[in-house]
Amino acid sequence: MAYGIRLKVWGDYACFTRPEMKVERVSYDVMTPSAARGILEAVHWKPAIRWVVDAIHVMKKPQFQSVRRNEVGSKIPAGKVKSAMKRGDLEGLQLLVDEDRQQRASTVLVKPRYVIAAHFELTTKADADDSEGKHLDIFNRRARRGQCFHQPCLGTREFAASFELVEPGDPTPEPAPEDRTRDLGFEDARRLGFMLWDIDHQAKGKPSMFFDAVLRDGVMQVPQPGSPEIRK
Amino acid sequence: MSILASLARAYERLPDAPPFGYSVQNIGVIVGLNEDGTVASVTPWFDGEGKKRKPRPMLVPQPVKRTAGIAPNFLWDKTSYVLGVTSGEGKRTADEHAAFKERHEKELAGTDDPGLKALLLFLRRWTPDQFDASQWSDDFKDQNVVFALETDRHNNLWLHNRDAAKALWMRVSGGDGKNPQICLVTGKSGPVARVHPAIKGVWGGQSSGGSIVSFNLDAFTSYGHMQGDNAPVSEAAAFAYTTALNTFLSDKKHRLQIGDASTVFWADAEDAEAALLAEAAFPEFFDPAKEDADTTKEVKILLERLRKGDQELDKDLALEAGELVKKLEKGVRFYVLGLAPNAARISIRFYYESDFGELARNYQRFVNDMRIEPPWREPYAPLWRYLVETAVLGKRENVPPNLAGEWMRAILNGADYPLTLLSTVLSRIRADGEINALRASILKAVLIRNYERKVPVALDPTMTDSKGYLLGRLFAVYEEIQRAALGGNVNATIKDKFYGSASATPRKVFGLLESGSANHLAKVRKLSPGRAVNLLKLQDQIMDLMEPSKGPYPAFFSADEQAFFGLGYHHQHSDFFKSRKDNQTDASGETAQ
Repeated sequence: MAYGIRLKVWGDYACFTRPEMKVERVSYDVMTPSAARGILEAVHWKPAIRWVVDAIHVMKKPQFQSVRRNEVGSKIPAGKVKSAMKRGDLEGLQLLVDEDRQQRASTVLVKPRYVIAAHFELTTKADADDSEGKHLDIFNRRARRGQCFHQPCLGTREFAASFELVEPGDPTPEPAPEDRTRDLGFEDARRLGFMLWDIDHQAKGKPSMFFDAVLRDGVMQVPQPGSPEIRK
Repeated sequence: MSILASLARAYERLPDAPPFGYSVQNIGVIVGLNEDGTVASVTPWFDGEGKKRKPRPMLVPQPVKRTAGIAPNFLWDKTSYVLGVTSGEGKRTADEHAAFKERHEKELAGTDDPGLKALLLFLRRWTPDQFDASQWSDDFKDQNVVFALETDRHNNLWLHNRDAAKALWMRVSGGDGKNPQICLVTGKSGPVARVHPAIKGVWGGQSSGGSIVSFNLDAFTSYGHMQGDNAPVSEAAAFAYTTALNTFLSDKKHRLQIGDASTVFWADAEDAEAALLAEAAFPEFFDPAKEDADTTKEVKILLERLRKGDQELDKDLALEAGELVKKLEKGVRFYVLGLAPNAARISIRFYYESDFGELARNYQRFVNDMRIEPPWREPYAPLWRYLVETAVLGKRENVPPNLAGEWMRAILNGADYPLTLLSTVLSRIRADGEINALRASILKAVLIRNYERKVPVALDPTMTDSKGYLLGRLFAVYEEIQRAALGGNVNATIKDKFYGSASATPRKVFGLLESGSANHLAKVRKLSPGRAVNLLKLQDQIMDLMEPSKGPYPAFFSADEQAFFGLGYHHQHSDFFKSRKDNQTDASGETAQ
């Protein structure tokens, strides 16, 4: 935690889709570690560092709303793109959205608010120029100014995230007294069930990794990479 | 807990749940076989008589999920598969029968169980034209068929229940054992279900059932995963949650229909009695129509207590309830799941999981929000009765989709009501000009929850917080003046003509109404001078509250003020209605003297 950072994030809606219900989408109650990683990477990322999420602090009671939208039913296959590139011709490579509609329901979170606690590690790609202090400074400076490489989002692209740095040394923000309820795991720890930790992009078949998510006093601790709590 | 995990847990507590790999299906025919594979008997397996004759449920090996392809079940199936016979057109009956034969040749190869051997021999010998023989009846066509050894049949031991068949089925159904993945329901490693069993009985869905977990188009998949690998759920967990859900959906005691949301609910508690009580009480919250014979005394007490609060209950009841509620508040977890179909897929409209005590408190809040004077003719109207008020022509199928689910979620969580509830009710009132107790109480509830306003339950002549309320009352007075002048048989009353614009853009209308009412008042004065004075007095009273110096009529009203307008109108109008009734009884009393 020596190089830990904390980032406050919020937005109007969020959808951290559960893998088992990703067609008629249902969101997890709380932000997933991989979604948090995505936000941090939007602010600052280099091949030399790897973000590790330590905990998600939940500021607001999860509230849901369900919406229906017309979405697209298929993807353009990567193979077709490849062959089109080889041919140098775009023939047959299109997706007509208005002819390929799927109506899908999404149960999304309303007005979510979190604090992400995370740190980063240097990867094997770090060279002599990379030091942890340097990247920490870059991140803090960028987050303070609200800079990002791309607009971070809360689970899905259409739900943009606003963010603000929690200054080093400042106390972590606490949920408002009226939100300190059992829904956030006050009084009694609240089990959220198994939650996606991340996708194992290195392994063959890219399997999903899960962990047993528990909300305790408004905080969901995230297991560190390689810990036995991550099931794969 | 996640939805699937809580359902899988509920499966463990089901009293007579089918074991893993088996499922209850409607079977119509039992074929008795001799050991050499010849047919010894054909027995119908029906309940009821005549037209009401229905196939009887039986525990059989879990069916495969059939969509478009040909896929035979194990040791049982419908006649087109088993016998190659169907009453319909049956273009592919021959293929289906061949597939059934092929599967069993493969799975049963090398068995030395006399029963399984007999089935193999039967299948080799059978041709569809043998169906004409006398022991077969046309009724049997397209029924599900199971087999039994003739010697076992009299003991009700079916072929699929023989030990050898069970062992074989365990091996066949237990997955190939290869590629075990972590299950996101249990967290344990196991073979992953490629396709999940269908969920049947969601209102409006396909009759063959639908799926919560399915990836039927490539837009839904990620990272090149196929089908079930997108969301690894073990075979056992997939079986458990679908079995529990199907059981609840088909069981009246665990199911409610709220708008387009098929709602199932279940309780989980150490104390089985408390769980049963919670399950019995919950449907009474939202559909009290059934409240009669089968409602236990305990449920009645609980409901009374929740609806009226402790103070108004008489002492004995309150004492009795104390014990009961304590039981329910402690350690009864309650789950509510709202499902709505989208063709072959099933979407989750809402999911609620909490202690029953909290649910009861939220319900109490809901009842308080909705309370209105004068009430609807039956107290505590069922939720669908309210929902119908949002529908075009008052038809249940016209309830706006999703509204029911959103509202239900808000009630269960004690959260804000969906604002579409307010806008639909307001537009219904504008469209058909009817404002009754149900609509008024919806308006009131939204004002309390979403706008955090103080709203009177019954007519409050001193209420000045809202211009809408005052103008609503005034509008009712003008209508009453017209009624007093012209009687009840006016073709189009000022309410019919002006309610919509008066509630939305009062400045345009109220000047007109005022001048019109002067004429009506003049007529009332001739007919009954006392009444004219009373009405004028009331009109002045309301006007006084409005501080005319600040401009009495706003140019337009926002949605919340329109709601107040409706409420004020309802209160004032029903007050007139009440006094009119009282007058009539007084008058009749006098004539009797």
